[in-house]
Amino acid sequence: MNRALRFAADHGLAVPLGAAIAVIWANQGAESYFRVAHDLAFAVNDVGMAFFFAWLTQEVLEATMPGGALHTWRRATLPIVAAIGGTIGAIGTYEAFLLAGDERLLLAGWPIVCGIDGGLSYLLVQFLLGKGDARPFVVLMAIVSNGIGLVAVGLHQQFTHMQLAGPLLIASGLTVSVALRWFTIKTIWVHIVISGAMLWWGFWWSGLHPALALVPIVPSLPRSPRGLNFLTDSPHGPHGSPQHVEHVLRIPVQIILLLFALVNAGMLVHGVERGALAVTVGALFGRPVGTLLAVGLAVGLGLRLPHRIGWRELVVITFASTCSFTFGLFFATAVFPFGPVLTEAKVGALSTLAGALLATAVAVVLGTRVAPAVRKRSSSTRARIIV
Amino acid sequence: MMRVGAVLLLLAGSAWASGAQDAALPNRPASLKFAAIGDNGTGEPPEYDIGRQMAAYHRQFPFELVIMLGDNLYGRQQQQDFVNKFEAPFRSLLEAGVSFYAALGNHDNPSQQRYPPFNMGGVRYYTYARRNVRFFVLDSDFLDPPQRAWIERALQQSTDDWKICYFHHPLYSDGRTHGSQVDLRVVLEPLFVAHGVNVVFSGHDHVYERLKPQKGITYFVSGAGGQLRKGDVKRSEMTAAAFDQDCSFMLVEVSSDDLFFQAVSRTGTTVDSGVIHRQGRP
Repeated sequence: MNRALRFAADHGLAVPLGAAIAVIWANQGAESYFRVAHDLAFAVNDVGMAFFFAWLTQEVLEATMPGGALHTWRRATLPIVAAIGGTIGAIGTYEAFLLAGDERLLLAGWPIVCGIDGGLSYLLVQFLLGKGDARPFVVLMAIVSNGIGLVAVGLHQQFTHMQLAGPLLIASGLTVSVALRWFTIKTIWVHIVISGAMLWWGFWWSGLHPALALVPIVPSLPRSPRGLNFLTDSPHGPHGSPQHVEHVLRIPVQIILLLFALVNAGMLVHGVERGALAVTVGALFGRPVGTLLAVGLAVGLGLRLPHRIGWRELVVITFASTCSFTFGLFFATAVFPFGPVLTEAKVGALSTLAGALLATAVAVVLGTRVAPAVRKRSSSTRARIIV
Repeated sequence: MMRVGAVLLLLAGSAWASGAQDAALPNRPASLKFAAIGDNGTGEPPEYDIGRQMAAYHRQFPFELVIMLGDNLYGRQQQQDFVNKFEAPFRSLLEAGVSFYAALGNHDNPSQQRYPPFNMGGVRYYTYARRNVRFFVLDSDFLDPPQRAWIERALQQSTDDWKICYFHHPLYSDGRTHGSQVDLRVVLEPLFVAHGVNVVFSGHDHVYERLKPQKGITYFVSGAGGQLRKGDVKRSEMTAAAFDQDCSFMLVEVSSDDLFFQAVSRTGTTVDSGVIHRQGRP
């Protein structure tokens, strides 16, 4: 079981596996699927995903440490510009598409198109462009774009069920977290169970999305020093330490991601509604246009493309970043309550998987696709990041 | 819980020349009479035809209210659109004092809840009663926890003889384009069954359909009030009657323990009719 979960973690299989089960189940036994999905939705989306975002925050945090891909602004600037441009392009296209049909009901769903499935994009770029600077580039794009979406959904929930106890619990939870760190409590679960639980209730009662509740305590969690390259850490390095947050959460997070896909990806698709089209067009058209315009402008102003990434590679990276999948599904569940409109948005998030085909087609047309031998060598490097 | 006796009447020929045909309803003096339309707000000729046909029927069957099953206005929803897509097609009925009570559909701008002729009182979901019937109007676009808590409470508190729910997305439908909204069904149906809902009206699929009673509840789909998906019904074991060859609307009469219904096409032809007998609740 553990081996299977580790294999799933190494190859990013949890989400596709959960999604495949969900789609088959929903279409073979819709009533039982939706009953189970509905019963699990809160536990998975609002509680379980808190562990995923804690794990993710740890990844981003370490990327900002010396040797990390985000450590210097100089290295990170162009992917950040690309992500911001792509996000603006995706949101603008989504909103314009809906306004053209006067479908105002769906306008609040713009955070959905902020999502980039970093894990999928990473694997896609590795497959199409091989080992190189393209992978951190697309991962950084995903971090920034998803970060914008997370801030949006965090604020979106405000005031829906706000209580005074919320901010007080958040402050108390943070204080407890710092105290645990001060007393060098090395067991991560102690941090999560005590201060994490306080923060979760604090977020809930403050009207903030509780899935983000563990994010503020991640810097206080025990950790071991990290290697220089966050994409190529040895599996037996510091991250194997039982006191390291990534090691502790790795398997639970894979189970949560599998359940997340299982609960959210199942749907009966009879027809494609405008909401689904808006998400698809925003991601597959708006994002590439926005990304390329922003990078073009930045290069025009003097920034340089990374080493070994030319314009052709950049176009492939851009299309590889159009798959919103996991994050699109999460943002959809965060901005729309249960109902058919949410289903429309989820159909849109799933349909952005077509971006993988687009990216492959573009790579073939532009002649950037690496030879199988090269690909085989590069895929031997284990990557741990899923954003 | 309920016995459904229904006769499918397929009448040949066009009624254009003669106007509305006779209502297949008892038309009793003290009964509650209402009409149902869904997915009407196109502003296109079929919607105007439906409006004219409803007005013709109103002369012989004076229904006092119209329940609107969502997608009340498609596309642009500026002030003039409310005239072109609602007030003009149904002018005769509005002038005759007929009240419209709207549910929101997926193409409706949420601001419709503040449009006085839709009688929504500025809210997405609401309830009202006429004689021995209580209507529960839901916003099926977003079935959020507050709405779920509200409908459960409202159904629990109701002591009316008839409980009729209506909203846009059908829990049961044989429409090929959309079909049954199973995700909504697993949440709403247990509440409906537990609290004795008798009849549910929905739209969304642009056809007329009556389903065989499901767990004691009769479901109607009346979503062809302004546009049609011709041939869209894929009949199944659930289908009691269906009509997908022209636009349509419904007439309903509730008299004591009986609910009489009649589905009428754009040309005035009765395409389905029958009676639902209310059983006493345990």
